[in-house]
Amino acid sequence: MKATRAALLVTLLPALVAGACSYFEKPEPFRPPATYPPLDAEALALGQRLYQRDCSFCHGDEGGGTSNGPDLVTGENGPALTDFMLSTGRMPIGQRDERIRRRDTPYDDDEIVALVGYIDEAFDQPGPGIPVVDPAAGSLPEGRDLYQEHCAACHATTGIGGAMLAQRGGETRGIVIPSLHSSDPTEVGTAVRTGPGAMPVFGPGVINADGLDATARYVEYLKNPDDRGGAPIGRIGPVAEGAVGWVLGLGTLVLFIRWVGTKRGERR
Amino acid sequence: MNGARGRILAAIGASMLASVGLTIVYALGGDPQIEGVLLGVSLGGIAIGLVLFGHHLLPGDQFVEPRDVIPHATAERPGVEAAFEAGAEPIERRRAIAIAFVASLGLLGIAALFPIRSLGTRPGRTLFRTQWRRGRRAVTDSGRPIQVSDLDLNSVVTVFPEGHENAADSQTLLIRLPDDVPPPGPSNWSVSGVVAFSKICTHAGCPVGLYQAETQELFCPCHQSTFSVPEGAKPTFGPATRPLPQLPIGVDEAGFIVSLSDYTEPVGPGFWNRPE
Amino acid sequence: MIRRLARWIDDRIGGSAFAESALSKIFPDHWSFMLGEIALYAFVVLVITGIFLTFFFDPSVAETTYNGSYAPLQGTTMSEAYRSVVELSFDVRAGLVMRQAHHWAAIVFIAAIVVHLLRVFFTGAFRRPRELNWIVGVTLLVLAFFNGFTGYSLPDDLLSGTGLRIAYSIALSVPVVGTWIAFLIFGGEFPAEAIIPRLFVTHILLVPAAIVALLTVHLALIWRQKHTDFAVRGRRESNVVGPKLWPTYAAFSTGLFFAVSAVTLAMGGLVQVNPVWVYGPFRVSEVPSPAQPDWWLGWLEGALRIFPPWEIRAFSYEIPNPFFPGVVVPTVTFGALYLWPFLEARFTGDRGPHHLLERARDHPVRTAFGITALTFFVLLQLAASNDLIAHRFSASVATISWAFRILVPVLPLILGYATYRLMTALKASTVERFAELPLRAVVKPGGDGEAPPEAEPAAPAPSEVGAMIFIFPDPDGRWRWSYRVTDNGLELRSHKSFVSPDVAEHAAVQAYPDTPVVQSTEPVAPTSPP
Repeated sequence: MKATRAALLVTLLPALVAGACSYFEKPEPFRPPATYPPLDAEALALGQRLYQRDCSFCHGDEGGGTSNGPDLVTGENGPALTDFMLSTGRMPIGQRDERIRRRDTPYDDDEIVALVGYIDEAFDQPGPGIPVVDPAAGSLPEGRDLYQEHCAACHATTGIGGAMLAQRGGETRGIVIPSLHSSDPTEVGTAVRTGPGAMPVFGPGVINADGLDATARYVEYLKNPDDRGGAPIGRIGPVAEGAVGWVLGLGTLVLFIRWVGTKRGERR
Repeated sequence: MNGARGRILAAIGASMLASVGLTIVYALGGDPQIEGVLLGVSLGGIAIGLVLFGHHLLPGDQFVEPRDVIPHATAERPGVEAAFEAGAEPIERRRAIAIAFVASLGLLGIAALFPIRSLGTRPGRTLFRTQWRRGRRAVTDSGRPIQVSDLDLNSVVTVFPEGHENAADSQTLLIRLPDDVPPPGPSNWSVSGVVAFSKICTHAGCPVGLYQAETQELFCPCHQSTFSVPEGAKPTFGPATRPLPQLPIGVDEAGFIVSLSDYTEPVGPGFWNRPE
Repeated sequence: MIRRLARWIDDRIGGSAFAESALSKIFPDHWSFMLGEIALYAFVVLVITGIFLTFFFDPSVAETTYNGSYAPLQGTTMSEAYRSVVELSFDVRAGLVMRQAHHWAAIVFIAAIVVHLLRVFFTGAFRRPRELNWIVGVTLLVLAFFNGFTGYSLPDDLLSGTGLRIAYSIALSVPVVGTWIAFLIFGGEFPAEAIIPRLFVTHILLVPAAIVALLTVHLALIWRQKHTDFAVRGRRESNVVGPKLWPTYAAFSTGLFFAVSAVTLAMGGLVQVNPVWVYGPFRVSEVPSPAQPDWWLGWLEGALRIFPPWEIRAFSYEIPNPFFPGVVVPTVTFGALYLWPFLEARFTGDRGPHHLLERARDHPVRTAFGITALTFFVLLQLAASNDLIAHRFSASVATISWAFRILVPVLPLILGYATYRLMTALKASTVERFAELPLRAVVKPGGDGEAPPEAEPAAPAPSEVGAMIFIFPDPDGRWRWSYRVTDNGLELRSHKSFVSPDVAEHAAVQAYPDTPVVQSTEPVAPTSPP
């Protein structure tokens, strides 16, 4: 757990530094980020090698998809989606019906850059590039507003995630909506723009670049919100409150009256 | 006994210290957590002190008290009944007047009920219509109109009729379906794969806030009703019994999404005289 | 000083007789008899903290802009009601502690009432002559539920707005008059502006006044009818045993008041409850997630969630789905609660007065019914968290919901039947605790598979071998009596003194009708138990 946190910090720091640097130049919504310069031949070769090794079995040599996995050349597929999938460890998966969820990514930063760049370059993907997200430039109240309007219903008011349903092949199946408490601002940006998995897409016509910065800032805030009231007891609202009220509140008082009063048949 | 005395004094002492602490914390600007601890100690100290006092230093004997048997006064009952009947007798002799009194009170009671009517507006046709009218633009809650190009495939946005951005009954979801999913409803009710459905759950009226873009389903967080958009927002799970009503939409000359009419059926949860 | 004040009052209203009997009134002090007191004192905390809150809360839906110190809401438009609650939480010293203590006290208040009700139910304390107080108590529970809901709705945050939205839809669902009911309560179509001020008056005046009135009746009836007690150590139908109000029980009870205050106020500072600033102001098209009500409405929320998608439509009229879980379920629940004492008397034919409590085993049908109902409501309560359970265990909401749809009608009956078998076996056996009961006795009660007959009268008070009553003079010339059991060293003294030995004997015989009386001329030294 500690290692995960340290790794997260290490990966987060460059992003934050990059974000802070880009603060001075007004970012355009779809400008490729500074961390992804045109790849040199060496990086492309690395990307190709990794793609052949880890991805092509399911997504096909030309990215056209196979019976094991979807294509990478239509819809929202692009650097943003690839980066989201790889940096959150959702890809690669070992088995075709494995649940796609956040894991520790097996790649280092250079490898992710190489893969994202190679896939985009080789398959000429239609989807958006990686948005530059700078939480420091976003307005917290605007972020709260946008988060409540677009994100809170699924990812929960406090960002803890949730559960919903989907009909697949005539069968009702559960969908686990991930928590946002380990998402970095770039992941928020790539997810908002591409709608990975069950998530809908929020293009710049719905949440503009400033709005994205603001949203990411509020998501950052939710990781460590103002718990002025004390222990946040899971941030799940009245259910936890009821349980704590019964156990800690009434429970303590029942222990108290057992101390005050007599037990059955007991003499004082 | 001495041990008890010491513990009682310790409890009271802790309470006194905490109370002094409370005033200091308050004067310094306050902090909910410290206040909570100090309040707990200052009140809890008294509580523990009192119970220790009762357990160890006050008489601990159990006493016994006889319980008088109720009804113990059956002997008095005839007296009460006689007193009542003696008083009632002259009233019974003027039965017509008594009835008139009762009737007047009853009428006054009925008349006094009528102000209840002032508590609310007449429902009338309110529940049958929303603020959508032919040609009214779909705008976000901040009043921004929406073009089809604002909506990527698989995107969703909540809109209101322009000028009625707080109209709860008019909240509508614009959903852009992927190219391979035929839009539900009459073909002229959608624009470039964009369809519009009422956001109010037909079960208990919560905003149906969750959209599952992969299988185009809407999900209500309150009671888990699930609606399949490609099938005309038909309910597929949960307590909802009816589809979400669809709003016919088109595009105006400026390219903004507008409604073609109001909803063709009442939106939201059911009620007694809701038409089929 | 106190003596002078007391005399001044006595000279004017003549309360000495009442005061004497009040001071030496006996309070049985089994711990479970103090559950109701927890509720009483939680109510006192609610009133005190609530008065503080009214000084800062503004029940208005007028639109305003937030400028307080909670950064994420800066510049956001919201209602005055919501703004004043956020300001109270962040910018009023001790405001948040008071607000949270109020909420925790509400949670504890209703929880204590429910546990108190269960104690009264399972021990048969509602039987004649206490049916009246049972009705008053159930009404207090209804009022507590109602005031809990109105209080939760006042801050006009997104969570409470969603709760109101559902309440409005449930009102709409009532056949024939539903739309009128909803429109008259809310003042028009949801979200009508009138509702917050109306809820405020209801929450701080109407319902609390009704609660105070009924609490007074509840306590006066206990005072008049005296407390029930378990049939142990000298307790009879004809007496009450325990410490006197003054001073011992007064110390206990005051201590309990301070304990309830300590727990609720400490929680108010240490554990976050209803953080409305995170939920945000009410917006008609937004919805919080997860969306649950406070615990006391969890069973109704659970019923709404798992009720199948059924509704009735006939002759172009409709009874919508929420009517069944939202109106029928609570009506039947409270109807059954109100009627239970009368139903039970009717079915057992036992209409006599009872002051000694029963144990769960003494009345297997009642206990089984109670367990059935309790299981039913606990399951509904859990069903209200179906989305949280699904999220926690990465399961499908549909699977969880279906599990509850099956468990809710089935499990209560299974547990109820199991309870019935266990209780009849315990009743037939001689063991004191059910852990001592051999499993065989539950599987085959009575050996021949026949349950013992039901309508057996309540167990007679335990006859204590060698019991005697001594009547003896006090040092000050008045007379007392004492109940003694030589076998086990039990001694219970009369709660007050009498003017003559005859009056003392009269009281003693009233308390222990079947016990020999011995008059002594020597003061009998109290033999205090070791």
